[in-house]
Amino acid sequence: MLEYGELVRNLTIKEFKLRYRNSVLGFIWSLLNPLAMMIILTLVFSTLLRAGIENFPVFLLPALLAWRFFSVSTSMSLASIIGNSPLVTKIYFPRWLLVLSSNLANLIGSSLELAALFPLLIFLGMKITYIALLLPVILVFEFILIIGVSLILASLNVYYRDVNQVWDIALQIGFFLCPIIYSISLIPERYVVAYSLNPMTRIIESIRRILYYNRPPTPADFAITLVSGILLLLVGYIIFRRLEPRFAEEI
Amino acid sequence: MEVIQVEDLWKRFKIPHERRTTILENIAGALQILEGKRFTYEEFWALKAINFTVSYGESIGVIGENGSGKSTLLKVIANILRPDRGRIKASGKIAPILELGVGFHPDLTVKENVLVYGSIMGLKNSEVKKRIGSMLEFSGLERFKDAKLKNLSSGMQMRLGFSVAIETNPDIFLIDEALAVGDMEFQQKCVDKFKEFKGEKKTIVLVSHALNLVKEFCEKTVFLSRGEMISFGKTEDVVKQYLKHVAGHN
Repeated sequence: MLEYGELVRNLTIKEFKLRYRNSVLGFIWSLLNPLAMMIILTLVFSTLLRAGIENFPVFLLPALLAWRFFSVSTSMSLASIIGNSPLVTKIYFPRWLLVLSSNLANLIGSSLELAALFPLLIFLGMKITYIALLLPVILVFEFILIIGVSLILASLNVYYRDVNQVWDIALQIGFFLCPIIYSISLIPERYVVAYSLNPMTRIIESIRRILYYNRPPTPADFAITLVSGILLLLVGYIIFRRLEPRFAEEI
Repeated sequence: MEVIQVEDLWKRFKIPHERRTTILENIAGALQILEGKRFTYEEFWALKAINFTVSYGESIGVIGENGSGKSTLLKVIANILRPDRGRIKASGKIAPILELGVGFHPDLTVKENVLVYGSIMGLKNSEVKKRIGSMLEFSGLERFKDAKLKNLSSGMQMRLGFSVAIETNPDIFLIDEALAVGDMEFQQKCVDKFKEFKGEKKTIVLVSHALNLVKEFCEKTVFLSRGEMISFGKTEDVVKQYLKHVAGHN
């Protein structure tokens, strides 16, 4: 791993540059997306539907950003093998480094996004307590989960080119399956256990607890997000290694 | 001392009669199988039972008609393709210089590409920055160092690939018709470089249709035909055999 440190760094910078190079506004665009979502969803939910959630923008935005971190990372890294076919078909190096670099480039992007939107959240009335120190822990767990899912998607995408269409649909369903635009308290009692098995639900709920309710996540939140992250990472790694030998000829 | 050992190497490609590259097509295909239609594909053995060894400091030529498996052989040695049977052992740092380019990204600039490629080849960024001057000088592309790769002509891309690859100081060169797109002047420069490498005891595997070049550089040569190794031995004898083989077909 250490011997590839510099390679990972160069690939990550490459990925980051390619992502923002061809647009004048570059990074600004990635801020406008969650802002527009926040404004329109706030209008719909607190004004039109009168959902009755206090300070809806602060309720929504952290959850939205956590979801965006997952959805943008996974859908970008999905193409990380086929998008680098000039490299994959010409020279050998461990292919999973491409997936990792794509994820890292997105980690930088998402962190900048969060840093830029944090002042806005405070302006909107978000309170920061010492509990916020737990936020990086949850984000690290989410990152592990992202790498696992990305490994699966990126390697399948070499063999099946419509994985991205399928994943788009899955993400749309996922957006409504997770408590982003509504509170988890709306889920009927008897479904809560099954509903909370979804690691993204746990992650979003944990972040909301930290930043909106100013309460620490429960031990179950930590346990389920970490265990499912590691499991997915393992499964992803195994699938990736199984499919990797024929990447160059299937690409 | 053997640097490359190829033992009973087989490589197969599957060519489906109807190529299915999406999940949807695969589901449709599975339904057809339920109806009694078979999923068929052709097996194509690109390499069959290849055996040879390359010793330290040796140069080996690989000749044969189009589609005889030469490029596949190089890609298997480079670990880009994996063999279906048999084994390949290569010790040392390998620089594959395949058809066009060595592994560059079209949307990155020349300088950025050199940095990424250098680190794939195990060079530190500081080392690459030290050598980038001589890389660009050899390629004659100093003026284009901030141009995107896709804006260079295919000849320029090849020059860059070759110049950068030789500066990463590999032990083994795998060269696939790389010189074919270069102009006369650059070809001569490369030939001189090869001579230098031979002096430095680098191992070279050269795929080429330019029989004169093969004769000049390679002590031994592999002759492939339809994936089979017809012969392996002294270049002079193998080239004669190849010419006879070609004449026999006409």
